[in-house]
Amino acid sequence: MMDERLEEQAALHVLGALTEAEAREFKQKLHADRELKEYVARLSTATGAVAGAVPAVEPPPRLRAKILEQIAPRQTAGLLPERRSNPLAWLPWALAAAFATLCILLSIQDSRLRGTVGEQAQQISRLNALAQTLSAATNSLQQTVLTLQETNRLANLRIAMLNSLAADAPKAIAVSLWDNEKQDGVLVAQNLQVLPAGKDYELWVMDENKNPVAAGVFHRDENGAARVDFKPARPIKTAGQFCVTTEAKGGVSSPTLKNLVLASN
Amino acid sequence: MSLSAQIELVRVWSLFEASPLGNPVFSTKPVNESEAMDRDIALLRQIAAGDRSAFAEFYDRHSTLMFSVACKILNDPGEAEDVLQETFMQIWEKAGRFDPKLGKAASWMAILVRNRAIDRIRAAQRRSRLAEESGAVNAIAGEVSDSANENFYGHDRAKFIHAAIVELPVEQRQVIELAYFSGLTQDEISKKLNAPLGTIKARIRRGLLKLRDQLEGVL
Repeated sequence: MMDERLEEQAALHVLGALTEAEAREFKQKLHADRELKEYVARLSTATGAVAGAVPAVEPPPRLRAKILEQIAPRQTAGLLPERRSNPLAWLPWALAAAFATLCILLSIQDSRLRGTVGEQAQQISRLNALAQTLSAATNSLQQTVLTLQETNRLANLRIAMLNSLAADAPKAIAVSLWDNEKQDGVLVAQNLQVLPAGKDYELWVMDENKNPVAAGVFHRDENGAARVDFKPARPIKTAGQFCVTTEAKGGVSSPTLKNLVLASN
Repeated sequence: MSLSAQIELVRVWSLFEASPLGNPVFSTKPVNESEAMDRDIALLRQIAAGDRSAFAEFYDRHSTLMFSVACKILNDPGEAEDVLQETFMQIWEKAGRFDPKLGKAASWMAILVRNRAIDRIRAAQRRSRLAEESGAVNAIAGEVSDSANENFYGHDRAKFIHAAIVELPVEQRQVIELAYFSGLTQDEISKKLNAPLGTIKARIRRGLLKLRDQLEGVL
């Protein structure tokens, strides 16, 4: 059911009384509305009748001939006047046909090349995407390896706390960090006593057979602290205890047990 | 005889035509509207395909109506000839665009020639002369026998159409004629008649609806 406004627009439309903008808008509605289309068709019958109600005036007969003559060229355009036979008349047509064939072949070739280039560009694009994915995966794997290596390294590290065994330095304490794979370590000590002249602190690492291996001499600083990066004199399969003794300056090859200052469990 | 009675009579005319009861009221052979519409649609399809003979037949069927409309709007037979020629060339080129769902071919043709004539007037800025001098406000023929409809529909139907138009209230007929034959927009009609726009719209709508209802079954 249409509203009055639409009916008015339809009436104005069939009379051509809408403005251009209104007519455009109405035609859009008309295109999409079947009911409106039927309504307009019925109204246009009425306007057609109004048009025919004007006094009849016959067009002059010459006008018919003139109009029919005007449309004649469209139908007779293909009819060409007869020409004399020319032995070379085929030549322009043959050249035109050859040229047309060449154009078609070039067009096909061009189309194929464009297709190939397009396919290659797509392939490159796919490979680039794959490379980026692989690169990301590689980075991720490298990160994982580093993490695993770090985890493994930490697993190989041996941390030991060295407690005081000296009655004159009961507060002395140290921590050693030993990397069995690298065969080196770090010792951090505090509250160490000042040693008499000609004496050094010497670090020892007990091997798997509980034999002490010298790991170097060190000195305390003015605060009684020391940090020592050490490496045993020979390889150690499995580190056991860590201990510190006071020895003659420069160190000795075998520890003096009565001079034990620090030892781990 | 009342208008509605005459309409009903025409509606059943075809039933009596082949009857042994003899000729009823009218002497002019009525046009079979359905056949006429089908013929127009078929001709337009043939024209769209480039059929020159179909175009000639179509010209013979509609040229009087179209030329009459052009003459009425332009009030100049020479210009009307130009418009008729232009419109038929348009039909030759664009016959395929005719949509039977939007109305009859005759209505389509009439609006084509009407629009071309109005465009010509607008281009020449002669609308005021047209509206005042061409008698567009009283565009309808005084006698049925003089109307273009008689040529196309035959005397009986043309008589009904004429009566239906004449019976419209003057103010409704006036706005319809101003819009159709003078090419005035609704705003322009409103100004010309010094009447509110809503009133003009309503008059146009009511007038056309009344006319449509009167003619339905006849056309």
